[in-house]
Amino acid sequence: MVKLKYLLWPKGATALLLGNEAIARGAMESGIGFAAAYPGTPSTEIIEALADVAKDVGFYVEWSTNEKVAFESAYAAAMCGVRALVAMKHVGLNVAADMFMSSAYAGVNAGFVIVSADDPGQHSSQNEQDNRWYGFIAHIPVVEPWSPRSAYKLVKASFELSEKLRHPVLFRSTTRISHTRQPITYENDIPKNIKTKGIFDRDIERYVLIPAHGRKQKPRLMSKWKRVMEEEGREPFLAIENPGKKEVIIASGISYAHVKEAVEVLGKPDKFTIVRVSLPVPLPYKPILDVAKDAEKILVVEELDPIVEKQVAEILYKNGLSVELHGKDLVPENFELDLEKVYMAIKKFIGEESVSPWRPMEPIVTEPPIPVRPPVLCPGCPHRNTYYIVKVAANKAGLKNPVFTGDIGCYTLGYQPPFKTQETSFEMGGSIGIAHGLSKVVDEPVIAVIGDSTFYHAGLPPSVNIIYNKGHAIVLVLDNYYTSMTGHQPHPGTGLTAIGEPTYRIPPEDLLKAMGYNTYVINPMNVRESIEKVVEAYKKFKEGDQVAIVSRMKCALQTVRKARREGIKLPVYGIIEDKCTGCMVCVNLLACPAIIVPKDAKKPVILADQCVGCGLCAQVCPFNAIEIIEEGSPNWMEAWL
Amino acid sequence: MARYNVLLVGVGGQGLLTLGAIIGAAAIEKGVDVTIAETHGMSQRGGSLVVHVRLGKGASPLIPKGAANLIIGMEALETARSIVFANRETLVIMNNFLWPPPLSKYPSLEDLINEIRGRARLYIVDAMEMAKEETGLVVTANTLALGYALAIDKELQKYIDIEAVEKGMEKIFRGKALELNKRVLWRGYREGERVISK
Repeated sequence: MVKLKYLLWPKGATALLLGNEAIARGAMESGIGFAAAYPGTPSTEIIEALADVAKDVGFYVEWSTNEKVAFESAYAAAMCGVRALVAMKHVGLNVAADMFMSSAYAGVNAGFVIVSADDPGQHSSQNEQDNRWYGFIAHIPVVEPWSPRSAYKLVKASFELSEKLRHPVLFRSTTRISHTRQPITYENDIPKNIKTKGIFDRDIERYVLIPAHGRKQKPRLMSKWKRVMEEEGREPFLAIENPGKKEVIIASGISYAHVKEAVEVLGKPDKFTIVRVSLPVPLPYKPILDVAKDAEKILVVEELDPIVEKQVAEILYKNGLSVELHGKDLVPENFELDLEKVYMAIKKFIGEESVSPWRPMEPIVTEPPIPVRPPVLCPGCPHRNTYYIVKVAANKAGLKNPVFTGDIGCYTLGYQPPFKTQETSFEMGGSIGIAHGLSKVVDEPVIAVIGDSTFYHAGLPPSVNIIYNKGHAIVLVLDNYYTSMTGHQPHPGTGLTAIGEPTYRIPPEDLLKAMGYNTYVINPMNVRESIEKVVEAYKKFKEGDQVAIVSRMKCALQTVRKARREGIKLPVYGIIEDKCTGCMVCVNLLACPAIIVPKDAKKPVILADQCVGCGLCAQVCPFNAIEIIEEGSPNWMEAWL
Repeated sequence: MARYNVLLVGVGGQGLLTLGAIIGAAAIEKGVDVTIAETHGMSQRGGSLVVHVRLGKGASPLIPKGAANLIIGMEALETARSIVFANRETLVIMNNFLWPPPLSKYPSLEDLINEIRGRARLYIVDAMEMAKEETGLVVTANTLALGYALAIDKELQKYIDIEAVEKGMEKIFRGKALELNKRVLWRGYREGERVISK
């Protein structure tokens, strides 16, 4: 797709925006001067969108090395009176949590919005934590949109609220808002004179949070929190539709969209009083009290944890109201909600049998069954080469039964057969810390496998720790030049900034060498040579050396893109039927999606449309039965560099 | 008007996100509200991919099981897997292509076709072959399938038509890509018209 700069279109124009782009446009209309993030699904496109137009508008955007650094940088801008946004995926807020708490104590001097894109249903994450809880811990209000369009409007309202209170606001999106497109008509132009420079107004009591100062800030912070609870129970953060009914549905965030359609499907759009909540934390109590006084029963519909429900229960109890309250007894607590789940919950709420109004077809059952299709390493993916190399080398070097600790990235897919080179994966940077601990308590050799971007994000402190505390584990950095899983954002090893300007490259091997690792660099496209080098590295490791390996080869998706852009033809491999014995080594050792075994066939074939010419299968075939069948351009190798 | 539900299924990398965006851009041309729920991140790496397009007013983004009006499947296993979104009335447009996941056992294309036929109105199109013939690029197969679906699905035409899709594509592609996509769109459309006139 061509990137048209639709984020720059004037007031009145309608664009088909992804929720994340809607958040970006809302922030731009609010006059942000600074934005930072570390990429993470489902939050990434916010900063991508902003980076795309940063030069045109004149604000500053960066991909920071991690969420904590992004948070600190954006906060500093807001501290100096420059409106700022920081974005991250839900688990990114765990990384930034320390500063998140302090930011509430010190407050801001310009609108400061923290976007947390949560992932109910775990489409692309290790957990589905509900980050609305963070609002309670930090005493930072949480705003939750119910559609991309409302996200666009509410992000602007969040900046206003933040500026009014001089307090950070947590804007909580979810996968189905961030990654849903909707036509959005722009309400305003992007302001002409945005503030990108500020003043650091020295204030020791406010910005140096020693205990004595922190204690002074706490009551001030709590008064802001109470003010939100008292005053903000109104548009755009809360609305009451159809007041005065005996049956009340309180719906927070995207649940409101489901509820609206469910009552239509039910044929009872006017039966209920519906409270739309876009400020779930802290829940403004006055409107809840208003509807509760007329109500016989209340249903709280919200995704994941019963955060609004608990607050409603508290409001009812404290005010002596005995209203029948339902929530997580009827609405699923795990995974994302949808129209059907919410419809079923409302049916139960009104005491009707909950039968789906839709008549789905029975699933197709075949023999053999339809196989699951989890994500896999792409054709030509350098991780495939590296995994093959490190396993073969382990056999050759007599490195017995190594434990591969893993991390967060495309390479996590190495957990699958035939590689199984990811045997743990918890959080960013975890591979190395876990490897260190393991090396102290188990006898097997331990190899920490971490991607380049993840290494810069949280891999440096644990790498230092191994050396300092005399652990003994190999650090293997998979360097493909980009933060690939989230869509090839640049990082400190790329040589480019977020807006595409050249910058310093900080190669992982230089960092590792400085720490004291005997560091080997391989190009996994050269399979034989790499195996030799890794065997040597393993031998040194067995002799007691601290060893690190950097495996560097460009992400295949970027290679294909570059080839397409520059008119370079990549070679295509084919399996020569006469030479192929059907041993299936290529299939079983590589699991490349471009190599398939046709139904009932004895020999595999390569899908020419999928092959990107990495040549790994040809190097692995014991019978030399895999050859180039379509020559690449003379300069095809340039696409891989 | 109730929402018209179009489910796009296939394998990550087959261009389903682009297809969703094209339909969305066409909807804007017609003044029709729409939500398009995409899948990003790791699931895009060769895994099952599902895009929910819902035309008409409303913001709940996922199509309930049994509520799809149209399914466009770019791969046979994924089309078969998505059949729980269909009901008896559902129209299924399937690209004639079975792409087994690595290291898997899988049913035959014939078995899958029979099973889908027993559950919904199925049309099969050689989208990749035709796209390649027309443009030399297999990646335009998604656009071809959309043109084909537009010719066959009279209900969809109440929300978007081929002219709106062409206009919408101008918001997404430029230059040669735009020209090629328009060409395969029409190729698919004519093929669809040919099939239903039989």
